Amino acid sequence: MAEGRSSIVISIFSTSSGIGKTITAINLAAGLAKEGYAVCLVDLDLQFGDIVNYLRLNPKHTIADAQMSMQINEKNFNVTDYLTDYYHEDGKGNSCKFSVLAPPRTIYDAYVIDVEFVERMIRRLNYFDFVVLDLNAAFSALNLAMLDMSTIINFIGVIDFLPSVKNFKIGYDTLIRFEYEESKIRLVENRADSQKLIDGRDVERLLGERFFHRLPNDFRSVSKSINEGCPLMFAAPSSPLTKSFMDLAGEYTVRHDDEEIAAEVPVQNDGIFSRFFSMFS
Amino acid sequence: MSYRVVLVESDPKILEELNNTLKKSPDFEVVSTYTKANDALGQSGVYNPKLFLIDIDNAEFLEMLPAFVDIYPNRIILGTMSSWNPDFAQKAAEANIAGCILKPFRANDIIEAMNLYQRRGKFKPARIVSFFSPKGRSGRTTLASLLALDVAKKSGESVALIDADLQFGDLPIFFDVEPDHTVVDAVHDIKMLTPVTLAPYFHKLTENVWLLSSPDRPEYAELVDADGLVSVIRMAGHVFRYVLVDLPAGFNPISVAVSDFADTNFVVAMINTGLEIEHMKRSLSLFKSRVREHKKTCPIFTRVNPCDEAQRVKMEMELGSPIIAIFPNEYNLVSIANSGQILRGLPPDTLMSQTIEKLSEELMYGEL
Ligand SMILES: Nc1ncnc2c1ncn2[C@@H]1O[C@H](COP(=O)(O)OP(=O)(O)O)[C@@H](O)[C@H]1O
Ligand SMILES: [Mg+2]
Repeated sequence: MAEGRSSIVISIFSTSSGIGKTITAINLAAGLAKEGYAVCLVDLDLQFGDIVNYLRLNPKHTIADAQMSMQINEKNFNVTDYLTDYYHEDGKGNSCKFSVLAPPRTIYDAYVIDVEFVERMIRRLNYFDFVVLDLNAAFSALNLAMLDMSTIINFIGVIDFLPSVKNFKIGYDTLIRFEYEESKIRLVENRADSQKLIDGRDVERLLGERFFHRLPNDFRSVSKSINEGCPLMFAAPSSPLTKSFMDLAGEYTVRHDDEEIAAEVPVQNDGIFSRFFSMFS
Repeated sequence: MSYRVVLVESDPKILEELNNTLKKSPDFEVVSTYTKANDALGQSGVYNPKLFLIDIDNAEFLEMLPAFVDIYPNRIILGTMSSWNPDFAQKAAEANIAGCILKPFRANDIIEAMNLYQRRGKFKPARIVSFFSPKGRSGRTTLASLLALDVAKKSGESVALIDADLQFGDLPIFFDVEPDHTVVDAVHDIKMLTPVTLAPYFHKLTENVWLLSSPDRPEYAELVDADGLVSVIRMAGHVFRYVLVDLPAGFNPISVAVSDFADTNFVVAMINTGLEIEHMKRSLSLFKSRVREHKKTCPIFTRVNPCDEAQRVKMEMELGSPIIAIFPNEYNLVSIANSGQILRGLPPDTLMSQTIEKLSEELMYGEL
């Protein structure tokens, strides 16, 4: 890679938690890696980060160790020393490899993480083609700094639960108010085809913006992937969710076909959307 | 009917002023005045007073409040102070008097304060309960709402819900209300408020459950500092007998300060991948390292399946500490919250509602 070139930074953000950021971050990273790109996945859910759990990693070093070493001697600091490799092959010739920057081990360690150090650390990851940031669900100083650094913001929502719809709408409006370019924000609906009371199209009307991508619901495959500690491409290679993640990865590489409109998903509507429309009007 | 009043005030000038004010009111009859609390304590009985107004700017008088409560049960005792002092107010509450008011007061101020303190419930210190969760989507807000409703119903006392999940508070949606005031206003004004003037910041949900809403834009959260919020919660304890505070997920200045202040912390996690037990462990170790002796930290898991004693024991082994309650998966809840109909409560006689009832009884009368 050419000197001074920076990586494509893709952040995974939401304003409700437990809606699939970490699953998305992992599978996006895996998908990009599978296509041959050098990928680093950074867990910035500092207090309760799950990437190392979902991937069964035993990191030697964490972001807290990295920060400590930067504080002691930034000149000799080499971020590579603090990364943990994830590697998996399925014995059928499929393999995937990417790096992970692990979250702190304790909440105390999480507390001392400083935004400016994280920014500098992320910049030092510029030898990767892609840096994928798994954030948590808040407008914190750290998250805002990371969104600032991002090339693309995947803003994820699951819209089965009215409070989540409200948080999705408020989150999106806030991003716009904070002047993030609309073209940088990609709305991703997770668990899009699950049986639910709220229609995705109503949410699009509410937000005045289309979903960029829709991920289907597949609880069984996701659970299997977490239990086996590997991305969906290995745990559930034929799941539609796996394919959908590959498509999402494809969107961020040169490979992608132009103007693919988010798939229409059948949804059931119980008429309660009128309530949230009135709520936001 | 007019209240027979005993005025106890160490400053003779103020005493005279207050006496003159009350004389003009048909609602009050000052039957005796004292500049020394022990005189009042010993002698007032002969006047058969209904109401004591006792100067608690005076430290010695403040110390004597428990003796007044002891000797004159069933009388209303109000502490009087020249400006709101949270520590004095706290001490007065611990003496089980009705509450405190500011001097100088008009007759009407006393009536307002008495109404407020009677509505509040028993003349006992408030219970401050925080609802913490390591991550969001834990069932924390649902639990706080259901408990608030049930405690209010069972105790007949007043309950406040404070939405301190400042960026993404869900309580207004759960109850389908759009309150005029939010936590931001209350924190902004708190230095000028008293229990009587703080009360209108709360939105009435039922006869005795009230909500202080989160702001409607995430960035307004910045306007709330932890100390200010704790002051609001503290004063809310003089307006309501139970104050339930819904916190933002994870450890941050707000959730740490509020759970430090609360007497009971519910720590709520929803079972999903099973890793939640790890998150709970992490959170508990932090809570335990900073907990004061009288405080209770109560782990709770939601969406536990199967939701039975055997499972609880198994989870306790894994967690390495007792679990206060486990809640089953209640599919109904999603549609209840979606439709803003939480006020209707849960269908009775379900495992979910039984678990809620048990928990609120423990909170009211039991170990918690
Ligand atoms: N597309 C999906 N289909 C089914 N279940 C999902 C899907 N995405 C996420 N989940 C479930 O949601 C849970 C939380 O996902 P996670 O990625 O950890 O959320 P977050 O990082 O946003 O907190 C997962 O354990 C999984 O069970
Ligand atoms: Mg996550």
